[in-house]
Amino acid sequence: MRALTDQEMKTVLDKLANYMSDLKSLIAPLEDGDRYVFRLNHSRVYYVKLSIANLATSISRDALLSLGTCLGKMTKTGKFRLHITALPILAQGARHKIWVKDNGAQPFLYGSNVVKAHVGRWSEDCPEHSGCVVYSMADIPLGFGVTARSTAEARRLDPTGIVCFRQADCGEYLRDEDTLFAG
Amino acid sequence: MAPTRTVKNKHAASKTNGAGSKSSKDGGITKSKSRSGSKANVKAPAIQVKGRPNIPGLDKNKTKKQQRVYTEKELGIPELNMVTPVGVTKPRGKKKGKVFVDDRESMATILALVQAEKEGQIESKMIRARQMEEIREARRAEAEKKEAERKAKLEETKESLRKKRKRHGHGNKHDDDEDTSLKAVTATGTKAAKPKKKRVSFAAPE
Repeated sequence: MRALTDQEMKTVLDKLANYMSDLKSLIAPLEDGDRYVFRLNHSRVYYVKLSIANLATSISRDALLSLGTCLGKMTKTGKFRLHITALPILAQGARHKIWVKDNGAQPFLYGSNVVKAHVGRWSEDCPEHSGCVVYSMADIPLGFGVTARSTAEARRLDPTGIVCFRQADCGEYLRDEDTLFAG
Repeated sequence: MAPTRTVKNKHAASKTNGAGSKSSKDGGITKSKSRSGSKANVKAPAIQVKGRPNIPGLDKNKTKKQQRVYTEKELGIPELNMVTPVGVTKPRGKKKGKVFVDDRESMATILALVQAEKEGQIESKMIRARQMEEIREARRAEAEKKEAERKAKLEETKESLRKKRKRHGHGNKHDDDEDTSLKAVTATGTKAAKPKKKRVSFAAPE
């Protein structure tokens, strides 16, 4: 387990900035004097309290399975891929949001994109190809994706047209159970 | 009885034994006698090359004249792919290893940098989207206008045709009938005249 290099940090924050509007809250000091840090272990990036990260130094790299919240994985080409486990953090400060109706929640959780007919409402002034967090109508975050059309364009779209390309959904907790945390 | 010793190299052992009892007397330690001022200090005689005087000053001139070797960067030669790819070569003299970012200040700096960059990107995207939307709107309005113009023109020609017909046959009953029929046609639209139904009849058997 190690801290991130400046290049890695930039890549991770860049990806997070696609979905979140306020990044500063991520590293803001907590009331008890602690703060959150990013740690890398087995090419996975974890978002963890500094005190816990310091405790984890007593565990060898191989033995350490996970700590804190796994944000995603650094690929071998140096890119960063967000995992569904990062959803609670993304949902805190989501830049753009899409609420899907109840009839659209299941298809989304099974891994399909969001079509216009399933959209209950969406945030205004959303450009195309920008990250958005998908919520159910009861404001429960279901996953995240990338908008296929801008809000204005999506209004003219036919009901079967794709509005948001899925990136991750809560169904992955079951579908990718084996590979999500290790391997 | 003396303890038996295993000797790996028989010949070496015999040699030492044969060399004399002197070494054994000293406790097995042999001192190599160094002869001071013997072979090591003797200078090799200077070899004189035929036709060249052996003057030390001349050698210096020779090194000065050595041709300068230019690096590829100095010559401006385009870089080629070699065993180590172009991008991979690391600058010399730089410290090895990774530089970690763990303190709050540097993290905040990177964060601010990234956020500003992203905000700029999104802002430009929005502006572009808005401009595109405006252009599309303008195009649509223009197309609608053209359509309306075309329709108006068509109506005008229709109207003029009607007027022409009216002027030609003023007071003529026959023409009046025709006019009414024309009106009916314009109201209901023209229909193609029904073609006569083809009939098929079979020859009666005789």
